[in-house]
Amino acid sequence: MIRFEDVTKIYPPSTVGLEKVSLHIEKGEFVFLVGPSGSGKSTFIRLLIKELEPDRGRISVGGRDLATLRNWKVPYLRRNIGCVFQDFKLLTNKTAFQNVMYALVVTGQATGASKKKAAEILSLVGLGHKSNSYPNELSGGEQQRVSIARAFVNHPPLLIADEPTGNLDPETSMGIMQLLYRINKTGTTVLMATHDREMVDRMRRRVVALDVGKVVRDQKRGGYGED
Amino acid sequence: MGKISFFLKEAFGSLRRNYFMTIAALVTVFLSIVVLGGVLVFVYTTNALLKEVEQKVEITVFLKTDPDPTTDQVDAMQTKIMGWPEVKSSVFVSKEEALNRLKEDFKDNPEILQDLTGNPLPASFEISLKDPQTVSSVAERFKGDPVVDEVSYGKEIADKLFSFTSQARNFLLGFIVLLGIVAILLISNTIRLSIFARKREVEIMKLVGATNWFIRWPFVIEGVFVGFVGAAAATVVILILNSFLVGKIRNGLPFMAVPLDAVPYVLVVLMLLGVGVVIGAAGSGIGLRRFLKV
Ligand SMILES: Nc1ncnc2c1ncn2[C@@H]1O[C@H](COP(=O)(O)OP(=O)(O)OP(=O)(O)O)[C@@H](O)[C@H]1O
Ligand SMILES: [Mg+2]
Repeated sequence: MIRFEDVTKIYPPSTVGLEKVSLHIEKGEFVFLVGPSGSGKSTFIRLLIKELEPDRGRISVGGRDLATLRNWKVPYLRRNIGCVFQDFKLLTNKTAFQNVMYALVVTGQATGASKKKAAEILSLVGLGHKSNSYPNELSGGEQQRVSIARAFVNHPPLLIADEPTGNLDPETSMGIMQLLYRINKTGTTVLMATHDREMVDRMRRRVVALDVGKVVRDQKRGGYGED
Repeated sequence: MGKISFFLKEAFGSLRRNYFMTIAALVTVFLSIVVLGGVLVFVYTTNALLKEVEQKVEITVFLKTDPDPTTDQVDAMQTKIMGWPEVKSSVFVSKEEALNRLKEDFKDNPEILQDLTGNPLPASFEISLKDPQTVSSVAERFKGDPVVDEVSYGKEIADKLFSFTSQARNFLLGFIVLLGIVAILLISNTIRLSIFARKREVEIMKLVGATNWFIRWPFVIEGVFVGFVGAAAATVVILILNSFLVGKIRNGLPFMAVPLDAVPYVLVVLMLLGVGVVIGAAGSGIGLRRFLKV
């Protein structure tokens, strides 16, 4: 599903984002991306959706080489990757419902059925009653959940989440994790960057640890820290 | 269908939300089109006025007085003149008529003419032409004619007038082109500013999988709307101002016959609206381009 071959990303002038990262993630896997702040987790994700271009190395997603992917095809790549952004990236002048709908409308679905779908997924993340609120009327955790709803409303084959539980209380976090778990069970590949030690330890899934842009650990059934 | 109504909703929603930028863009379009339209109307009007003045260029052929030409000679000459294709009309002014005119001109102070004895004035032909530019070549033909004393057509005045009018036309044409360019720059810059304020919004749209055209359409609709409304308001102002000024000129300078049909109004209105719409649409399209590279 995802292949990174020797990928290096340097932010000008010389900040290391990623350094010589090689990583394969198979279809249907559930992977935690861990590491201290500034270790390159978000950089990894931004490369994956072609928001950034690597300086060296190759990246392919779903069998497609991103370097040779035509510009006009990038939107179609992104529609197949649901992405929960660390800073949510909600459209500030649209309600929670309209934000979720936007992901459907861009793919040409603006039907009654898709409206129902959007309403359902908002209820699923526990925001049914806030669908008409604007992002600035929502708490951080609520905005995060809108972002999750938008990422998954298309049922993309790949779901990436950058700290999706960063602003949530343990109980809501658990709810979100269970949601991601269920999503993964339906065959969706899930990649989640997180600092949530407890969560990672409890799930016992594949853990990839980054430090200063390098992969320092890749464990099949790992925990947050070294065992 | 669903998409079009979505785009329209997006466009008018953001026009309302970003009302300050909407107003700024509207004012820019409005001012540019007012100036553009003003110059256009001015060009058409002065063009018509210049044509009018050009038409007044006449050739006066004075005949010898000693001896005066016979009626036969006059008739023969009139026939010859009227035979030339360049000539629109030719009027014979007899000695008596010339004197009457002179008296008429000085009727307020007849003492000037007191010492006049007999009739020293020559008879003349007053010739007007179909195309005023042919004046020199027609005047040339009277050279060496035995009954002709002098040909006058205000050579310098005519030549100066022609060179002035052709220069004025070129200058105004250049001015319009320049103005058009300035207007486009100004407007696309204003629109770019408004788009810059929404850079983040565009970025997010791209990251959740919107194609460039999906993002672009609402912006283009906004641009077309702003361009059209601004141009329409400017057109109304131009038309009102024009009719007001024409009225003023008519009253103030009655001898200047301002032709009513000088400005092809329908064409000018369509032109201004068209320019507004094209500028608005192109401005948003171009202004958006660099933000779509996400
Ligand atoms: N746009 C940028 N320009 C310059 N440097 C950047 C940029 N984005 C990130 N960096 C740097 O790249 C490195 C990796 O950043 P990245 O955002 O990938 O870390 P992260 O692992 O996601 O951290 P966190 O857990 O705090 O989100 C950091 O040193 C950061 O300062
Ligand atoms: Mg990060």
